[in-house]
Amino acid sequence: MTAPPVPPTGPPGSGDDPEERDPGLARERTSLAWTRTALSFAALGGAMLKVNAITGLVILAVAPVIWQAGRVARGRSPVASLPVVGAGRLFLIALSVVAVSLLCLAVAIFGRSAAGALR
Amino acid sequence: MSWSRRMAELLPGSITRDAGGAEPDPRFTFANERTFLAWSRTALALVVAGLGVVQLLPPFPGVPAGRHLLGVPLIALGGVIAVAAYVEWGRSQRALRRGEPLPRSILPWILAATVTAIAVIAAVVVLVSALR
Repeated sequence: MTAPPVPPTGPPGSGDDPEERDPGLARERTSLAWTRTALSFAALGGAMLKVNAITGLVILAVAPVIWQAGRVARGRSPVASLPVVGAGRLFLIALSVVAVSLLCLAVAIFGRSAAGALR
Repeated sequence: MSWSRRMAELLPGSITRDAGGAEPDPRFTFANERTFLAWSRTALALVVAGLGVVQLLPPFPGVPAGRHLLGVPLIALGGVIAVAAYVEWGRSQRALRRGEPLPRSILPWILAATVTAIAVIAAVVVLVSALR
């Protein structure tokens, strides 16, 4: 039973921890994670284009929405005032992944199974 | 606890306005969010892999359903991981708000067990196809 670590206190910009000197780093890393997630959607959409063009376009259209959802004001700011993305947007991502996997399931099961593009 | 109560506790508003705690250090919130995003990408990668198996591989000789046997569980696993990742995120966020120890994650267990099962199926399909 250990409590979560307590963040170091003290005047901002004093510690050796880069995170402490620039608390915006956490925001930046998270922002990059959002970009990667949006790219993952785009990659899946691109792969889907070859299989089923309409489904592919639908999934591709999700990517910019995810990218936009992850955009929050950036920059150097004190820890306490870092903007936080709301739970609703994470809920949106979980819903999108489930919807996308259901779409892909439908395509995989009912779609015309090609002879195999890698033959 | 009733099911409707459990479901209501999963809604986004219920987690961020949890009355039993206060807003944690934003860095913890961000780290929790990144963990969720990483699991989401894992889920998407599984969906891509399953789709690739079904649509891009040539059929296994002698095992006509082989591609679907491998691809469909991968895609379904992607959907399950996405839901589980959201549930885990909510549990962790609640614990962070309340200053409680973080709950143990079931995601690695789900992933390891299912990937192992799919590997076994793959081995059987390849063997049956080769020994035909």
